[in-house]
Amino acid sequence: MTTETPALSRLVPVRRWKSFFESYGQEFVILAALVVLFVGVGFYNPRFISANNLTSMFVGNAYIAIAAIGMSMVIISGNIDVSVGSLIGVLGTISGTMAVNGYPVILCWLVPVLIGMVINAGVGVLVAYVKIPSIVVTLGMLSILKGGLISVTGGAWISGMPPEFMIAQFRLFGLPSSVYFMVVLTALAALWMKYSPFGRAIYAIGGNPEAARVTGIRIQPAIVGVFTIHGMFAGIAAILFATQLQVIQSTVPPNLELTVITASVVGGVSILGGTGTVIGSTLAAILFAAIGSSLVFLNISAYWLRAVQGLMILATVLADMARRRRI
Amino acid sequence: MSNLLEVSGVSKSFGPVKVLKEISFDVRPGEVHALLGENGAGKSTLIKIVAGVINADEGEVRLEGKAVRFASPREAAAHGIATVYQELLLFPDLTVAENIYLGHAPKTRWGALDWNAMRAGARALLDSLDSPDLDVDTTVGKLSVANRQRVEIAKALSHDAKLVIMDEPTAALADADARRLMDVVKRLRDRGVGIIYVSHRLPEIFALADRVTVLRDGTYVGTKPIGEVTEGDLVSMMVGRAIDHLFPKVDTTPGETILEVKNLSYRNTVNDISLTVRAGEIVGIAGLIGAGRTELALTIFGITPATSGEILIDGKPVTISSPDDARRLKIAYVPEDRGSQGLIRPQTVRENVSLAILDRIARAFVVDRRQEGSLARQAIERFGIRTRGPEQRVKQLSGGNQQKVVLAKWIATEPRVLIMDEPTRGIDVGAKAEIHALMSRLAGQGLAVLMISSELPEVLGMSDRVLVMRGGRIVAQFDRKDATPDAVGAAMTAAKAGASLESAPLGFKGAAAL
Amino acid sequence: MTLVLNRMLRHEVILGVLLVAALIVLAGQSEHFWTADNLLNQGRLMAEVGLIALPMTFVIVTGGIDLSVGSIFGLSAILLGVFWQNMGLPLPVAMVAAILVGGIAGLGNGFIITRFKVPPLIATLATLALYRGLAEGISQARSVRGYPDWFFGLGQGEVLGVPSQLWIMIVCFVIAAFILGLTTFGRTTYAIGSNEVAARFSGLKVDRAKLLIYGASGLIAGLAAVIFVSRVSTTRSDMGTGLELDVITAVVLGGTSIFGGRGTVIGTGLGLILMQALKNGLALSGVKGDGTIVVIGAVLIAAILIGNLLSRDGD
Repeated sequence: MTTETPALSRLVPVRRWKSFFESYGQEFVILAALVVLFVGVGFYNPRFISANNLTSMFVGNAYIAIAAIGMSMVIISGNIDVSVGSLIGVLGTISGTMAVNGYPVILCWLVPVLIGMVINAGVGVLVAYVKIPSIVVTLGMLSILKGGLISVTGGAWISGMPPEFMIAQFRLFGLPSSVYFMVVLTALAALWMKYSPFGRAIYAIGGNPEAARVTGIRIQPAIVGVFTIHGMFAGIAAILFATQLQVIQSTVPPNLELTVITASVVGGVSILGGTGTVIGSTLAAILFAAIGSSLVFLNISAYWLRAVQGLMILATVLADMARRRRI
Repeated sequence: MSNLLEVSGVSKSFGPVKVLKEISFDVRPGEVHALLGENGAGKSTLIKIVAGVINADEGEVRLEGKAVRFASPREAAAHGIATVYQELLLFPDLTVAENIYLGHAPKTRWGALDWNAMRAGARALLDSLDSPDLDVDTTVGKLSVANRQRVEIAKALSHDAKLVIMDEPTAALADADARRLMDVVKRLRDRGVGIIYVSHRLPEIFALADRVTVLRDGTYVGTKPIGEVTEGDLVSMMVGRAIDHLFPKVDTTPGETILEVKNLSYRNTVNDISLTVRAGEIVGIAGLIGAGRTELALTIFGITPATSGEILIDGKPVTISSPDDARRLKIAYVPEDRGSQGLIRPQTVRENVSLAILDRIARAFVVDRRQEGSLARQAIERFGIRTRGPEQRVKQLSGGNQQKVVLAKWIATEPRVLIMDEPTRGIDVGAKAEIHALMSRLAGQGLAVLMISSELPEVLGMSDRVLVMRGGRIVAQFDRKDATPDAVGAAMTAAKAGASLESAPLGFKGAAAL
Repeated sequence: MTLVLNRMLRHEVILGVLLVAALIVLAGQSEHFWTADNLLNQGRLMAEVGLIALPMTFVIVTGGIDLSVGSIFGLSAILLGVFWQNMGLPLPVAMVAAILVGGIAGLGNGFIITRFKVPPLIATLATLALYRGLAEGISQARSVRGYPDWFFGLGQGEVLGVPSQLWIMIVCFVIAAFILGLTTFGRTTYAIGSNEVAARFSGLKVDRAKLLIYGASGLIAGLAAVIFVSRVSTTRSDMGTGLELDVITAVVLGGTSIFGGRGTVIGTGLGLILMQALKNGLALSGVKGDGTIVVIGAVLIAAILIGNLLSRDGD
């Protein structure tokens, strides 16, 4: 029995710090890891925290954080997408090719985003209505997109895009636009996941599909919707990816899908669906970028980065399983 | 209009089986109407029809005088009907507040979910349920079963329900929690809400209900004001048939003790259990859902190895840490849930029957198909399995024949101890009698049989001895001749715990000494 | 009995017909296709995928998946070079050690899956990154060359006019078909995939079987890696990238249900040959290597789509 009286408890609808920390635990862990990393590596080699390095770190990785927003939604809904890297490669190439061929800049930005949404809506239909597991559909899409891209372009470099097209290189108050994109999209997505009925439905479907059905949530359209939104974020990520450098290599960035999935999972999105936030995935994307960058400053070969990535996924997943077993 | 809900002439069939036959009853506002019946009597089907999960084949449901037919549970909820399901349908990763309001959350002017209103609303609802200690911001996965139930009830209330259906709400609760829940139900009633209350626990029904309706085998037996009936009346209305007549238990002289369990515990679900089963004896375990009976069986069988205590076979202590160990010690377990635990449903009768003895019918790891085929044909003959042949897939068989396949699989291992968990759940009367005859015959051949059943007549009719479990413990023990429905039923529900121990010649104290 | 056999082999029969049709069409397209040289060479090319597809059939029949085979392949290939060149082990010892490392990596997958109950998809996705990362970290992207001539007999030589690795694949194929089709272990595998709980409740050793299957998957990936290094004469850390896709496609195309419980090794063999014939046919008619990946992806989705539709009719 508790000593708390009903009258008192009615007075306190303010969130307790404890439960606030509980629901954002993973985010705090990553934030702490980031601080430790910046302080530690910065102490060892001050150039690590120079404005130059930080800027290039964000510009080079913002698109990963943005793709991870959509990926997080997909994973929260209980699915997965291993084709996102190929999709970004294809959409980036389309965007760059359009720009070189003189299409209006606004179309060069919008058309790839729309194509991404259409392709992933198709994936969503196969998953939700035809009931093919998302891993199989996206594994197939991975090779269709990747093979298609290379056989059409031959992996050629695209260059000579007009400067007004290079949206990732725009600057405002000295900061590159990628950073604004990352922050604004993360904030919008976080609000949307928290305050929209659709966002909450995604959590419900991933957490307990049977209960979601009884509650009256229409699962199939929701799944298609999640994949479509994921396609939109992939499209935006592709534009930033295509415009961050003066040239685009028309291939699939190696292991991009794994990096994106790592960001989501390490950011606290449970691989079993139903939990996680997009803030966590963005923080994890930054952490991962920072680790990659720090290897250079610590004189460790960058070839170990992927092993670190694997260990991070594995550790997070095992911790997640252990936590679930305790409940 | 005095009636909140009127159900008239409702019938429902699943395939060829008619599970409800012309049921009629009504619920008044501010009334607790208990729905009583054995497993398989049709209570669940009836409440699913009222809740909009399924539709009736015939008959009518009227809500406040208007005929209604719900396409979905959501539609029923919109009409003010809320259901608290037995398998609480909640989202473990979401907070209490969100679980209560999911699907109909309050919104701000801009169309965003209003979390503060949601949390304040949830707070108010829980306070009104006398649960001020429940934090609206914790995730439901961290709550106890009793607290989850409160969340379910708060969810029902958040819809402004006029009618609340509660399916075995106290089945999984400890006594103190059950009492607290009953207080909540009384509050609801006092507010003018109509309540359909499904329960096995007779004392609860006497404490709560205004009227009680009894179903048996899908038919309506009667509706009585609670003041006009005794427990005995209700039991005979529920059971309604001569017990001896249906159960062909052959009297046997039990032989040596084969299985002995001493102070066995598993976490907090199985507490300090001691029992013995002798050759040729059928020991029945009665109890309510959540009493720890299946958990005991799973512990003996090695699915959830014991955390303390010992198991002895022929007086020798043994270690059982996996079903494989149990199988090698000649212990067989016919599980509660045929579909998910007993059978490989997409596979054939032949493949299922040989599953537990694959290594024995193999030569150098190669399965001997001829031996396997003849094993299956023997099983079909011996157990009277109605099938097109050994190559028919098990999922195409009827429930009774599926159960015979599970039994055949385990008898093929030549067990000495047979644990049967709800051996006749969900199968028709004819097949039930066949399974009972088989059990009796197997015991006659010297098997030690431990039977768990929620059907009192089955326990009383088949068992040489009856053990009663509650809260993970054995609370009473009866010999066949002393095991009356009243006495066993009372021990199950603990209405007159003292009385049941008195009426039991071998009470709880004596059980340990056995 | 024949009826039952028909039902079991229905998918294989459809595949067989498809395969024959494909072979006839391809033969008509190019006179090079139907030559002994081309066919044997195709056999050589598909041996690595074919080998890994055998344990993968078991994995998928249990309802699991192993995405890490490509990475284990890369790790074993790298370690072969490292053991031999950097650590100075005799080459035969290095070969065995590289294969064993593959087996250990596979057991690692099995351990994570059975002990911690991590879904196979996620467990092997994580080890896909981990094992590839180890391969990259250990090799630092340096390749190893200069193997002795006898070593190339494995990947480039012939025995009785047939490529040596084809012999190895055929032997493994027969063993796998035997185990899955006729033995108690095969039965256990099907039972796990159809209903893992019921398999456990029937006293089958579910965890041990899974551990062995994932271990075998890694071991065979290691073996395939050694053969591959022998075929291409060099070792690089990015070897086997995307290999899991080819392997899974062959298995699923061969009629193994991605949901577990159904599938045969013979089907996998047919699926594999059909896939290789498609690749070869496309290459002969001028489609470049990357174009064939598109076809594989499309075939993978189509195979499951059709399988889903068929099994709905079947029940």
